[in-house]
Amino acid sequence: MPDSPKTIPLDSLPTTKVARAARFAKTGFHVGANYVKHYAKRAVGAESPTSELHEANAAELYGALSEMKGSVLKVAQMLAMEKNILPTAYADQFAQAQYQTPPLSGPLVVKAFRDAFGKSPFDVFDTFDLNARQAASIGQVHFARKGGQELAVKVQYPGVADSIRSDIRLVKPIALRVLGLDEATVRPYLQEVETRLLEETDYGLELRRGQQIAAACAGLAHLQFPSYYPELSGSRILTMDWLPGQHLKEFLATNPSQAVRNQLGQALWDFYMFQFNTLRQVHADPHPGNFLLRAEAGGTVGVLDFGCVKEIPAEVHRLFTALLAPETLADPARLTALLTEAGVVRPQDPETQRNFYVATMQASLELVGRPFRQASFDFGDPTYLQSLYALGDDLLQQPELRQQREPRGSEHFIYLNRTYVGLYALLTELQAFVRTA
Amino acid sequence: MEKDRIKQAYLDYVLRKGAPPVSVFKLTKKLGLPEQEFYRYYASFEVLDRELWADFGREAYDTASKEPVWAEYGTREKLLSFYYVLLEVLKRNRSFALQALRRSLPRMPGLTPRVLDGLRQEFEQFAAKILQEGRQSGEVASRPLLENSYPRFFWQQLLFLLNFFAHDESVNFERTDAAVEKAVTLSFDLVGRNTLDSATDLVRFLIQSRR
Repeated sequence: MPDSPKTIPLDSLPTTKVARAARFAKTGFHVGANYVKHYAKRAVGAESPTSELHEANAAELYGALSEMKGSVLKVAQMLAMEKNILPTAYADQFAQAQYQTPPLSGPLVVKAFRDAFGKSPFDVFDTFDLNARQAASIGQVHFARKGGQELAVKVQYPGVADSIRSDIRLVKPIALRVLGLDEATVRPYLQEVETRLLEETDYGLELRRGQQIAAACAGLAHLQFPSYYPELSGSRILTMDWLPGQHLKEFLATNPSQAVRNQLGQALWDFYMFQFNTLRQVHADPHPGNFLLRAEAGGTVGVLDFGCVKEIPAEVHRLFTALLAPETLADPARLTALLTEAGVVRPQDPETQRNFYVATMQASLELVGRPFRQASFDFGDPTYLQSLYALGDDLLQQPELRQQREPRGSEHFIYLNRTYVGLYALLTELQAFVRTA
Repeated sequence: MEKDRIKQAYLDYVLRKGAPPVSVFKLTKKLGLPEQEFYRYYASFEVLDRELWADFGREAYDTASKEPVWAEYGTREKLLSFYYVLLEVLKRNRSFALQALRRSLPRMPGLTPRVLDGLRQEFEQFAAKILQEGRQSGEVASRPLLENSYPRFFWQQLLFLLNFFAHDESVNFERTDAAVEKAVTLSFDLVGRNTLDSATDLVRFLIQSRR
């Protein structure tokens, strides 16, 4: 974790639902205005490339979202992960959301402790740093010591759980507008997101899962999990070991050797495959802020934040595995059957449309599943990443998909996709060569 | 002490029954005291109410200032800390506090209900003191014409927060915590050195340069 607190002050937060709604209405208007400008420019024949438009919209939307904090920030982070489905300009703006949040004041932190333990953090710990070391999306992390042990103490913003539902209702119309989707069809997906977000505010659940997954993964090499301290945790406070290491960007700036990067990549890959295939539940928040890397012992990954864990139903696991299998790719009939089962293709679809979906999915599965079909895979290969992004752009350009205006496929795929996209993004940034078989 | 016994008995009564006793006689009879014993200390229940609120303020200050980090806090944190502790005290006596607030607050925004007069005195003294410290440390801008009314300005803030608290329906009053955080941030943006001071400075400079 960075030693100096990153406290980039943002503007004050609107609290009440009305204030939040007003803020969003403003954004909706600006996004609308940006489109008007875009089309006006086009009408008079001026060059107004779409990327410029996306940039203007993204800056606008991010400005609004970063003032909302909490759950909205989570949505922003999630969108940031989906570099494939979001135009790059949006993704870059949202990526900022992963590190910037206004801090809680010292007295409020003290109060959170009084609420939970009836005493101040200075009585609970031997030392406690009232200045947050790091902002987490629904809280902040403090450094503390007790009995010679260095601890990370996560404190949640007040009222986060309370405001998630209303936030989602507020984000929905804007997200739909920006992404060009239709309300009724996205309901199960938003439901899924809401459930995960609410789970994330439950520190008790996070603690149990953190302990569980850490215990189950104890046999995996080069991974480190913090111990959690139930007696020092409450519904809004979570105490765990302070892990050493740096975040991805800072770590890469130290120029780690290829061997170290490979080992880190391998550790991450094994961790995720083990969760997916054996535990049937995955740490579904693989953004760079949740991993601490260090070169020690040839490369060790510290895993933080088990707030977002996706349990994988057996059905979904079977489908997902089958879709990635090499036999499926070679056999269009089998692929069509699986896609129908997953809800991507529907029996009532016209023939041409069905063929189009199957062809599109085949292309993306060929690309996304490539690491699975080889014994080892070089994530450092720039052409692979480029073709991955090109595929994303391509899908966005497809008139058939743009007109579709309804997402398809099981809602369980949201977090699974997010997990894979996040994992691939980490591995490509690390440029790791991984034994994938 | 009799005085404290009467006070405590009255508070307990309101907490339990949700309303003040019908008469002084009823309360003193419960305590096994002659009625005039009450009047030796208080003229009426209203006076007693006022004193209870002032006690809340004093208790909040005492508790907050005993916090080991109190000395390290700036003016902003001291004020925040006072607010949070005061809210804790009120939560402990919430039936009494909410009832009194809901009964007396909504009538006229900005005006102080009489029941809060005692608290107001305590609070304004406290605010004047920490603002003085803030001016020395530079956290609060020195504005000779305005600064004398700051304690009143902060009292309005506390009134607003009490009003918010009285109408807050969130679990454990979490929204009130957020309101405190934001209101205090705003007020310190205002009393700290800001655009206003630079503008005054420029205007003063221009006037002086004309001669």
